[in-house]
Amino acid sequence: MVAQIVSLKWQLLRNGLRRSTPQLVGLILAGLYGLGALGLALSGLIALRFALPSDAARTAIVVGGSAVTLGWAILPVIAYGIDETLDPARFATFAVPRRQLVLGLLLSSLVSVPAAVTAILGLATVITWSRSVLAVLVAPVAAAVAVLTCLVLSRVTSTVFSAMSRSRRGREALSVLVVLVLVGVWAAGSSILRRLSAPGLLPHIADVLGWTPLGLAWSSPADIVDGAIGSGLLRLALAVVFLVLALLAWDALLLGALENPRGTSGGRAATRDTGLGWFGRMPGTPTGAVAARSIISWRRDPRYVTSVTLMVLMPLGLMLPSVTGNGGLWSLAMAPTAGFLLGWSVHNDIAYDGTAFWAHVATGVCGRADRIGRLTPTAMAGSVLLLGYATLGCAVTGRWDLWPAMFGIGLGFLLTGFGVANVMSAFKPYPVPGPGENPFGAPPGSSALTLVVQAVAGTAVFVLNLPLLGIGIGALLGHAWMGWLSLGMAVVLGSGALVLGTWWGARIYERRAPELLADLSRIG
Amino acid sequence: MLWSPTPSDVPRSGRPAYRVGLDCYGHDMQTRGSSAALSLRGLSKAYGPTLAVDRLDLDVPRGSFFGLVGPNGAGKTTTLSMATGLLRPDAGTAHVLGHDVWSDTVQAKRLVGILPDGLRLFDRLTGLQLICYSGLLRGMDRPVVTDRAHELIDALGLAEAGGTLVVDYSAGMKKKISLACALIHAPRLLVLDEPFEAVDPISASTIRQILDGYAASGGTVILSSHVMDLVQRLCDRVAIVAAGRIRAVGTLDEVRCGMSLEERFVDLVGGQTDIGEGLAWLRR
Repeated sequence: MVAQIVSLKWQLLRNGLRRSTPQLVGLILAGLYGLGALGLALSGLIALRFALPSDAARTAIVVGGSAVTLGWAILPVIAYGIDETLDPARFATFAVPRRQLVLGLLLSSLVSVPAAVTAILGLATVITWSRSVLAVLVAPVAAAVAVLTCLVLSRVTSTVFSAMSRSRRGREALSVLVVLVLVGVWAAGSSILRRLSAPGLLPHIADVLGWTPLGLAWSSPADIVDGAIGSGLLRLALAVVFLVLALLAWDALLLGALENPRGTSGGRAATRDTGLGWFGRMPGTPTGAVAARSIISWRRDPRYVTSVTLMVLMPLGLMLPSVTGNGGLWSLAMAPTAGFLLGWSVHNDIAYDGTAFWAHVATGVCGRADRIGRLTPTAMAGSVLLLGYATLGCAVTGRWDLWPAMFGIGLGFLLTGFGVANVMSAFKPYPVPGPGENPFGAPPGSSALTLVVQAVAGTAVFVLNLPLLGIGIGALLGHAWMGWLSLGMAVVLGSGALVLGTWWGARIYERRAPELLADLSRIG
Repeated sequence: MLWSPTPSDVPRSGRPAYRVGLDCYGHDMQTRGSSAALSLRGLSKAYGPTLAVDRLDLDVPRGSFFGLVGPNGAGKTTTLSMATGLLRPDAGTAHVLGHDVWSDTVQAKRLVGILPDGLRLFDRLTGLQLICYSGLLRGMDRPVVTDRAHELIDALGLAEAGGTLVVDYSAGMKKKISLACALIHAPRLLVLDEPFEAVDPISASTIRQILDGYAASGGTVILSSHVMDLVQRLCDRVAIVAAGRIRAVGTLDEVRCGMSLEERFVDLVGGQTDIGEGLAWLRR
């Protein structure tokens, strides 16, 4: 049964690729990138064996390993593209013994690019530690425990999250939590980086991490190499205990998912809305109708609610350095960040429709109405957020002279983002969770295509705004007139990009609407 | 043969024919294309190596209540999708009341109402909102849309559920609300893919009444189904599709050849397996 579950995952990955060439190309690109990074890390690990004293190896592996473990634990929080191919709920109707299901799901999660990379790196630490016979014996065990801990932690997080995200309140709590985690990681990381020059800090951190669940397994062989065999074995034992505890926790959570597969616990109170709602408030035109529909989706669809809450709260993290007292001008970047996130976020909007998009194809709604209508909720939120964040950022830093520059850059990002999105979303939708599915999940084997499209959209927006950023920096350096110039430029450049993007996107849309629907029914 | 020429009671518009020639049965094609509500010529679609629809020709006369029957995977949904502009054919043409679906798209789509099968709805809208959305997307005036939407909701017995999100609807209610969406702009041709699937008998009879009235007033209905009984009771014309081709087409009586539609269907399509002594383990 365990082998069957693992081969099921492999099969799903392969079949997913067989259906779409772009996805295959994306996976190859991701694979090449992964190979490059892997090669670098591997040569680093081998170098640690020969070139440096064992102290350096301990510091590097414990800190690096703990970071990787932490990454796995919080990855499902940050990355929407986490692969939930083998959603435990799908096994609910099969009477798979739970122990075998847990083991099968765990091993099947090894069948993915990031897991394979982690496993290879974990095994490579055996080379680093090959300084004594006992170390060579302990290191592979420790590495296996460490890698399994990574996988189990990520499964625990994603199971907790998908359970939480079933109710509206849970989703909101979750979004806030995500922001807190991100801010925490970012703040800790930046304060460590800043003090990195202080001698002995990293080894000290390694010492502390070595006794936390994150670093136990990673530091065990280091002790053995140093001759502290008792403490090395103790760490290994503790690491195994932690792994077992994590497994038990996951098992318990899984039971919840199996007994309540469709998440009826989050029972939605039936919304009773007898009027037209937003359809009565927006203009009675096709554009107005698309806009009203988008706004309603924003408010009621968990997938939108989650990402919108994130986007709204994320820029707040930039205020943290000011709050903790070490100032800086980071807070000023809130408006540009918000503009970038919001503008960029709509580049895959059609995919969220899923096959419901047929209504647009069947009615033959014109491209312009579809394009502009979809932007409306983001534009409404964006105008409020940009004003708010630009003002807040200036208030925190006291640099009111930079208001026009920051608002301008934010506006530039927002409008060019709209322009790029209008072309991209008519061109190539990539898979997103279907309505009613876990907003933190992603369809199998999609992450490569997703990454490529997201990177293209992000780069395009960024490049289009380079001149604007240049002038913004000029304003930052004290040329106040450049701030106003950047605001003016943002309006001209942004509306230009928006008009052009809408025109082009509408043309693509009108030519490709049936193909878009075909794409959506393939990925949906 | 089963093909029947255009009935004389259907008015001919005298539009120039878009293709001249004789079909495989020797009938003059000029006489049928122009007065058909839906006219398909050489329609083909392949999914990879699988030929879903294979050079399919079909004419649906105006005012007819047309049933498209066929086994699973016969290409019914693919055909109807290509005929309504949802799926681009690899080859062939589709005309709705003389308008080419793939070149005169706007006009053709204005005349058709669609109820597709297996596609999602914008289910975060309420029933009322969803109907209005269909109307407004077509550029209709909001007051007209609102009035009609309320009427449709009452007629379909959805008054109680008009303010409920479509995501909370049962499968049958979703079919009914989709039908309302297809009707809102008073189309001349209704294309319904499996309209009675998962619909309870009471709702089914409501839908039948609406469709009967619509057809009686000159509208054309095409529906696909694999419930032969239902097609037999509802439709005056039938086509049997299998493996992407029309196997028989004509009035109900012509196609039936004196049998029940189901017998005739099994007869034509064949392929049913004789279980015989198989599955013995199931009969302990």
